[in-house]
Amino acid sequence: MEVVDRNTEELLINHYSQLLETDPLGGLRKAAREAFLKLGLPAKKAEAYKYTLIARILGKNFDFTALTEPATSWKKEACQDKFYPNDEANHLVFTNGLYNQEFSKIKSSSADLVIETIDSQSLENIADLKQNLGALTDDKQDAFAWLNLATFSQGLFLHSLKNKDNLPTYIYHFNDAPAAAVSMPRVLALVESGSRLRVYEKTFRSGEANHLTNSLVEVDVKANGELRWTKLQNQTMADYAIEGFYGIQERDSRIYTNTFTFKTALTRNNLYLSLDAENCETHMHGLYHLNQTSHVDNYTSVDHTKPNSFSNELYKGIVDEKAHAVFNGKIYVRPQAQKTNAFQSNNNIILSDDAKVNTKPQLEIWADDVKCSHGCTTGQLDEEAIFYLRSRGIAKQHAKALMLNAFASETVQEVQDEHIRAEVENLILNKLGV
Amino acid sequence: MLEIKNLHASVEGKEILKGINLTINPGEVHAIMGPNGSGKSTLASVLAGREEFEVTEGSVTYKGIDLLELAPEERAREGVFLAFQYPVEIPGVTTTNFLKTAVNQVRESRGEKPLDAVSFLKLMKEKMKLVDINQSLLSRSLNEGFSGGEKKRNEIFQMAMLEPALSILDETDSGLDIDALKIVADGVNTLKTKETATIVVTHYQRLLNYIVPDFVHVLLNGRIVKSGTKALALELEDKGYDWIKEETAAV
Ligand SMILES: Nc1ncnc2c1ncn2[C@@H]1O[C@H](COP(=O)(O)OP(=O)(O)O)[C@@H](O)[C@H]1O
Ligand SMILES: [Mg+2]
Repeated sequence: MEVVDRNTEELLINHYSQLLETDPLGGLRKAAREAFLKLGLPAKKAEAYKYTLIARILGKNFDFTALTEPATSWKKEACQDKFYPNDEANHLVFTNGLYNQEFSKIKSSSADLVIETIDSQSLENIADLKQNLGALTDDKQDAFAWLNLATFSQGLFLHSLKNKDNLPTYIYHFNDAPAAAVSMPRVLALVESGSRLRVYEKTFRSGEANHLTNSLVEVDVKANGELRWTKLQNQTMADYAIEGFYGIQERDSRIYTNTFTFKTALTRNNLYLSLDAENCETHMHGLYHLNQTSHVDNYTSVDHTKPNSFSNELYKGIVDEKAHAVFNGKIYVRPQAQKTNAFQSNNNIILSDDAKVNTKPQLEIWADDVKCSHGCTTGQLDEEAIFYLRSRGIAKQHAKALMLNAFASETVQEVQDEHIRAEVENLILNKLGV
Repeated sequence: MLEIKNLHASVEGKEILKGINLTINPGEVHAIMGPNGSGKSTLASVLAGREEFEVTEGSVTYKGIDLLELAPEERAREGVFLAFQYPVEIPGVTTTNFLKTAVNQVRESRGEKPLDAVSFLKLMKEKMKLVDINQSLLSRSLNEGFSGGEKKRNEIFQMAMLEPALSILDETDSGLDIDALKIVADGVNTLKTKETATIVVTHYQRLLNYIVPDFVHVLLNGRIVKSGTKALALELEDKGYDWIKEETAAV
């Protein structure tokens, strides 16, 4: 076999050749495979990956000819030890990208929240699942979304039934990388009209080798439904992740996303939300607090297609040492989306000479009766303020922490779950050494 | 308590303080007056440890230690307090939270236990009365959107909370109406003891009717060119600074 001639895309996808052969998804996989190979990993000149040369970074850090299927050294108990101390909640486990029902603890009744493994069986039996899987990504030209669809197995299906106020749901990913490995977790969440779902997602790892996660979440929120989704990305300098999040909203619905990134070799978040009806409300909050050589690229897109909807995006960044943060915020307001209110801001504090921020708002507005605003700032901590705090007896490092905490708090306050909020607050303080 | 000898300081290569000599004993109140731009705030800032000013010559000894060697927070913990001419607005940090951190870090440096929430609140309530400041102001972001008067009052409130040995009030009177001025002055006077000293930097004689100085110094072009008693302040009020400028030029 002549592997050297093959390109990265083929090597990556052939790693899953067995899956592809069986194709339990009824042709879906094969089509996704074709689409992925045709599109290819974003090339050097790809505008959407201008500051994140993804193919090169992955090529440098992963030997695609020698990717392994990660072993599951995570035992049930070890996983459950990491659960947040909340008994009135669902704790759902993925190991190496596969949903693991046995390791999970489910509290919700299936009359409120259906929690299912996505596999060939459930795809056949559950019409809602079959209908919606992959529905939001097919027009998006996102190679990683195709890759996930072609290669995921044992995904997670969350179906929040009509008018149910559901218990909080934590999703934990336990990865294990004895050798360079990839995982492809996938979640589909349907939130029926008038129901509420809150999801908190977090990742753990063991082993030292590089690990690549290519995850995909699809959410569909029906009339007057509410979805809150928080991602806590705090991994190691051997973790690489491309995380896709695609959402569509019906009228009067609300989506809140919170994306916190603290540590990673590379994380690219692709967040696409489509406000596809009137009177939708969308809040996208993010905080990245980076040091070492962490690289985070938040690529976000909010698409207003109907009148009278509201979106608000706020990303804040603290960038230290040699870290690099990228933010790209697209707002589309389609011709018929009159009376849209769309706000966006991205504020950064740079703490070292070697840290770097690239931020770019991109507004495309075709409707004329709209209120849109955007603003990006990148600056340093106010020295005058630090002196003021120090002159009252507060140590320099602590003074900085007070100010950075205040800077970040707007995004932290958005998190309803007290465990996650406390964890985020601690992560900020720990990072500042106070 | 404080001994300043031949103090020279520059900012961006420009010399601003050109040889200040000043000795202050416990229990004393010293007023420093002088026209705009003469270096009053610079002197105050150098004493508090602002790093953008470079001390090029001279020494400052405070309670027998070399003050210039200490970081700003260490000076504060040793009992030096500067009420800023322009208090800084800090969005997102409440006065209460900030002061709790400050008070407890100062206590910690002295080997005292940190105050718990209840004791801290009690201390706050007591000191709030002193400067007639209200609770709602303190739960807002530090100085953000405060009126000029509220900012100055907040400075004195912080002073009351920290109970410094050496207080430097940099134009705490400017922008205050007469009622606020009286309250602030009363607060400062109440905090005064035989062990504490106060430097009052001001433009106007008015404040000195309420905080009565033992000595008055005139700072002109980076030097103390004249010292006297309260009578000097009255004379300055009457005659302005020009006669001193002429007198100094003649020397
Ligand atoms: N940060 C600074 N950078 C440059 N010049 C400064 C700075 N601070 C003060 N100065 C200059 O130093 C001189 C004295 O200023 P200052 O001490 O504020 O005077 P005062 O308080 O007596 O009005 C002025 O000429 C002022 O412009
Ligand atoms: Mg001044």
